[in-house]
Amino acid sequence: MRIFYAILLSALSFGLIFILDHPLGALPALGRLLDPINGCLANAEPTNIDFNQSIKLPTLQGATTVWLDEQMIPHIHASTEHDLYFVEGYLHASFRLWQIDMETRAAAGRVSEVIGDKTLAYDRKQRRKGMVYAAENSLKAMEANPETKLMMDAYTAGINYYISGLTYKDLPLEYKLMGFKPEPWTNLKIALLLKYMADDLTGATDDMAQTYLREILSPEQLKSWYPDKVEGSSSVIPAGTIFDKPSLSTPTHPADSLVFPHYLSSDFGEPKVEGKGSNNWVVSGSHTASGAPILCNDPHLGLNLPSIWYTCQLQAPGLNVFGVSLPGTPGIIIGFNDSLSWGCTNNYRDVKDFYEINPVKENPNKYWFNGGQVDFTKRVETIVVKGKPDVVDTVYYTLHGPLMYDQNYKSKDGLQRPLAMCWMGHKATNELLAISHMCKAQNYNQFVEAIMNFQCPAQNIAYADRAGNIAIWGQGQFVNKWKDQGKYVMEGFDSTTLWKELIPMHENPHVLNPAQGYLASANECVTDSTYPYWYNGGFTEIRAWRINQMLAGMNKATIKDMFAMQNDTHSLLAEKALPILLSNLNNVQDEYVEKLKNWNHNLTLETKEGTLFQIWWRMFYLDIWYRDKMRNIPDNAMPLPERTMQLLIAKNLPVPKKYQTPAGVESDLRNLITINYHRAVDSLKKLETNKSEEWYMAKNTTLSHLTKLPAFSFDHLKVGGWGNTINATKDNHGPSWRMVVQMGKEIEAYGVYPGGQSGNPGSKYYNDLLQSWVDGNYFKLNFLPNTEKQDDKNIRYTINFQKQ
Amino acid sequence: MRFFLTILIIALVSAIGEMIFPWWIIGIVSLLAGMLAGLKPGKSFLAGFLAIGIFWLVAALCHDLPNDHILSQRMAILLFKKPTYPLFLLVIAIIGGLVGGLCSLTGAYIRGISK
Repeated sequence: MRIFYAILLSALSFGLIFILDHPLGALPALGRLLDPINGCLANAEPTNIDFNQSIKLPTLQGATTVWLDEQMIPHIHASTEHDLYFVEGYLHASFRLWQIDMETRAAAGRVSEVIGDKTLAYDRKQRRKGMVYAAENSLKAMEANPETKLMMDAYTAGINYYISGLTYKDLPLEYKLMGFKPEPWTNLKIALLLKYMADDLTGATDDMAQTYLREILSPEQLKSWYPDKVEGSSSVIPAGTIFDKPSLSTPTHPADSLVFPHYLSSDFGEPKVEGKGSNNWVVSGSHTASGAPILCNDPHLGLNLPSIWYTCQLQAPGLNVFGVSLPGTPGIIIGFNDSLSWGCTNNYRDVKDFYEINPVKENPNKYWFNGGQVDFTKRVETIVVKGKPDVVDTVYYTLHGPLMYDQNYKSKDGLQRPLAMCWMGHKATNELLAISHMCKAQNYNQFVEAIMNFQCPAQNIAYADRAGNIAIWGQGQFVNKWKDQGKYVMEGFDSTTLWKELIPMHENPHVLNPAQGYLASANECVTDSTYPYWYNGGFTEIRAWRINQMLAGMNKATIKDMFAMQNDTHSLLAEKALPILLSNLNNVQDEYVEKLKNWNHNLTLETKEGTLFQIWWRMFYLDIWYRDKMRNIPDNAMPLPERTMQLLIAKNLPVPKKYQTPAGVESDLRNLITINYHRAVDSLKKLETNKSEEWYMAKNTTLSHLTKLPAFSFDHLKVGGWGNTINATKDNHGPSWRMVVQMGKEIEAYGVYPGGQSGNPGSKYYNDLLQSWVDGNYFKLNFLPNTEKQDDKNIRYTINFQKQ
Repeated sequence: MRFFLTILIIALVSAIGEMIFPWWIIGIVSLLAGMLAGLKPGKSFLAGFLAIGIFWLVAALCHDLPNDHILSQRMAILLFKKPTYPLFLLVIAIIGGLVGGLCSLTGAYIRGISK
């Protein structure tokens, strides 16, 4: 009997340990996780942690020092660039290892490997887009250049040095929760991360939706509802700027019937993630109180934790730069050095086109081109899926690019016609070289030469220097297109539709020291119609109008004024559209109307009128455009809100049939507006019963951990604003970094981002900057001189790296 | 006396063991201690339970207190949807205790076979 118990108990003990040592469904291995020595509690960082330490390394070329200041911003001082980027890699890994691992997995379509088949569709899409192909192409260019090769090798070695010293106990918490381990870092991962950003910023497309709209709308409707340039656009390059004579002539537009296929059925666009945008502006010294130019930038990205940015200062001989780095890549992306400053917004010129491919019926390995048969290049994509067999997908490449959609991979609504994607991101570009040279540039000319390497994602790069210059460039690599080339899906059957010459990058739209004394970009149209090259793109105007309106009235701008502008929640959309909506109400006399009439059109965090307006506008907007055959296109391929507003002002909005009355168009519009008003008030009343009628409650801005786990995320942040205000804080994206730099004799710089320098949810530095960001406050950035010793009072810890 | 000594030895040896081995070393230590201690089954279970339970609780507090409960609150939200970190710490102690107790009890029964 005792033997029986002994065996039974042994089995039970072994079983209990076995279960606790293995993941159970979605649950991680609990024994490993809860073990207070090596498990999750090992990631509970003491709040008074002392980061002072000395690290001896055989691979360093000299001594390197890192000073950490009060916001945990590292100031790295190295004697060579190799050491600088090695230590930058080391620090990125120390504070953000899991994040950069996941982001590069997300880029490459390798998420299922660690999550399971939930993310299989996502991974497959990444493979279909040719993300790894894109990264491999750029990697070749980056490794062929000795400068970027050195940067990447040193940076990768720094990350790998950190990884090599890790035991289970030291792994970031998320590895323990998800049950996997970091793999060695590679230069390819740097390229993947840059392509991830390129895809995020230039990957959205409305080509399919536009092709369909072209079929279902009359040419007049198309022109009125979807203008190439919105009337009154306050373009990035101010109207009236004289452009250089183009070196290339615009190619002739082939007959539409020859180049655009006809799509008659249903929706087949990949829904575009709406609302990514950014602001930057520069004010010349003639318009500032100090007499020195001021540069401001707030790039809007997904609001995630760990934060997308990591602030740092880099110092080496001939290099002293401060700003935000993108963990996973060396260098500083947005910032300033001892001579000049720069900030980026997305340019939105279309650099991604689709071609319909005609496969040879008898031979699936070939497609028709210029009357002959051409071989597809096949790329076999093996997607490893956690807990399931591998999934293999063969992606066919044409001379345009990968077949994104075909009979094996339908677009959302079942479109089966094979479409190849042609994307600037697939080209062998070397943005890292641009980043490296921007960091080192000492004057305008050097800076301009630096950004000639910034090809994709195209950015509006604002510039201000201590010599008093301000400038802006609509920078990126663009194609000399014929009118409407790539606006719609094109037939890819012959060379007529191919991308041909590249526009020399010096001919990109730019302006230096304009008479108006300021420059701004907020994803609006890049130029007026005098720019000699044709382009289209996903431009939005409302924020740009507001920024220009504010800057135009400023003569003695101060840094504080800039803070106020970045946090401005005034909605021009509401200011212009609301009075018209109100004046078109049929016999409505309630308290809400009175409140709306007295509202100042600011989307402050606690406004209730703002909530009502936003709901009303949204319902009204959808009611106008979700009509007839347009129901089939994605939400974000609808006409722009600013265009809708203009059509409303011009009394030129198409009112859907259901609102039409014998009394005529004006009465129809009143009907539409009134009915949606009542619906909006009902919605507001519902929100009131849940006590969530205040704007911040209604919109629920959330800073989400990349796993989406609420435990590591922060919701209902008390911030105002929306996509139609300068402070474009929406539900899940918004200002990912706010920076204001005054380029005087002394550089005075301020910055803040939502989150914290540490990616560890068990650290107090995980979200210690968040409240300041929410409140619209800034931290003064301690720009240290390029010296070996520092006595700045804000330095808290020193890490000494020594050559062994 | 032997009971308390067993608790002390299991806790100490496990603590040293966890510096080198993964968490399941606590099971092996408890099992061996259960075999060697010669306690009655009930007491053997209790000794293992208390030894590992206390060891894990103390170890957890050593991380949690200097951390101002930042991590334990987030883990509590993750597991129980509420930031009740004491519950999280208690669960750690109980799970560790169960492993220790069960293994120590097994050890006592294995010792019994040879008698």
